[in-house]
Amino acid sequence: MVQIVISSARAGGLAEWVLMELQGEIEARYSTGLAGNLLGDLHYTTEGIPVLIVGHHILYGKIIHLEKPFAVLVKHTPGDQDCDELRHETGTRYLVTALIKDKILFKIRPKPIITNVPKKV
Amino acid sequence: MKRTREEVDATLLIAKLNAAELMPTVHCLSFGPGASGAAAGDFCLLELEPTLCQQLEDGHRLVIRGDKDEQAVLCSKDKTYDLKIADTSNMLLFIPGCKTPDQLKKEEAHCNIIHTEIFGFSNNYWELRRCRPKLKKLKKLLMENPYEGPDSQREKDSHCSKLRPCYWRILEFDYEMKLLNHVTQLVDSESWSFRKVPLNTCLQELGPLEPEEMIEHCLKCYGKKYVDEGEVYFELDADKICRATAHMLLQNAVKFNLAEFQEVWQQSVPEGMITSLDQLKGLALVDRHSRPEIIFLLKVDDLPEDNQGRFNSLFSLREKWTEEDIAPYIEDLCGEKQTIGALLTKYSHSSMQNGVKVYNSRRPIS
Repeated sequence: MVQIVISSARAGGLAEWVLMELQGEIEARYSTGLAGNLLGDLHYTTEGIPVLIVGHHILYGKIIHLEKPFAVLVKHTPGDQDCDELRHETGTRYLVTALIKDKILFKIRPKPIITNVPKKV
Repeated sequence: MKRTREEVDATLLIAKLNAAELMPTVHCLSFGPGASGAAAGDFCLLELEPTLCQQLEDGHRLVIRGDKDEQAVLCSKDKTYDLKIADTSNMLLFIPGCKTPDQLKKEEAHCNIIHTEIFGFSNNYWELRRCRPKLKKLKKLLMENPYEGPDSQREKDSHCSKLRPCYWRILEFDYEMKLLNHVTQLVDSESWSFRKVPLNTCLQELGPLEPEEMIEHCLKCYGKKYVDEGEVYFELDADKICRATAHMLLQNAVKFNLAEFQEVWQQSVPEGMITSLDQLKGLALVDRHSRPEIIFLLKVDDLPEDNQGRFNSLFSLREKWTEEDIAPYIEDLCGEKQTIGALLTKYSHSSMQNGVKVYNSRRPIS
């Protein structure tokens, strides 16, 4: 019987993050991978509508408060010092690192930006 | 290298967005170092019910359990859920430190740029579904531990399997019960109130399993139709469903330990419905004189239709009856001129037993 514990990463309140839902897949342009790369700029209109500029695309979305929140679980494989309060060696655990109660959903087909205007810097 | 305000503004210009229509704060999003870790299983998203979310916030833990060949389940301190992976065709990014427009409006200082690192992204998440008692597994357990009578060692062995009716006969469920099961499981998994079951969603979800007319027929048999804001809903009849569930449970056993039956029965009905022995009049009989107390199926429909035949069969089942117990089994015999009292006077003999009036046969039953 496998038993995996899910518990809070630390005592005290859990951080709240935001989920962003985009259509399609994310691929790195270069083989060096995604880490450190920019995704884009996220703006909000004065009415609160999220606008995401990704590469040559503008995406308009909406903020949704989730009926079913998410927990972000980070896998933690045991080291030598990992024992639970009963002094049993713990196996793999998942730590709840944050909760997500809101999401920014971009469902609308991206509008490409026509870039024949030289930038004014 | 972090983006500058100048670069952000230049992008807005190219994008032909009017800065005056936007809030002053921009989030410049980039990918953190471990962002692609979902594939490696480094992290994942777990969808929660609000109560579970509260439990985690209060510091309680959850546990995932499962044998290799079994569906994994997630256990909180008082509930169990089936754990499934839900795929989405979309990309889900989880972003720390990202503020919503409402949060930004509440803030006094309007900082210009928030450099935000995306912690990770995934195209699937763990989904939870409430577990219903698995009837097939229940039957398997029961087959392994047959009831052998009150003096059996097994009776005294407290570590034995919980449920011990006399013996199981595996029967096929009636088609109507199968349909009802589909409906009640859907109600539970969608966490609907049983008083507001949407017809269209039922047909959509169950359509692949059973003909739509049959699904709707089942809803009509076990509920009341109504319309709210243009949508058709059914209010399910708790008494009917509890009774049908009891019937399903009892029909596969000769008799059932009463206490254990009541526990399984309550767990088997949809959330929010309360079981009560009153719902079983004319369907099942409780024997409070046996040790342990038992309950068994006794359907008035299965009994003889003629008066004398009816009373004969009832008295061969049980020598003495209280009026409360026998009434549901002779009600249908009452005509225009005959009340229950009149029938009892004609076909039985009454006496007092422990201060209660009981009825028995007028003549010896052969």
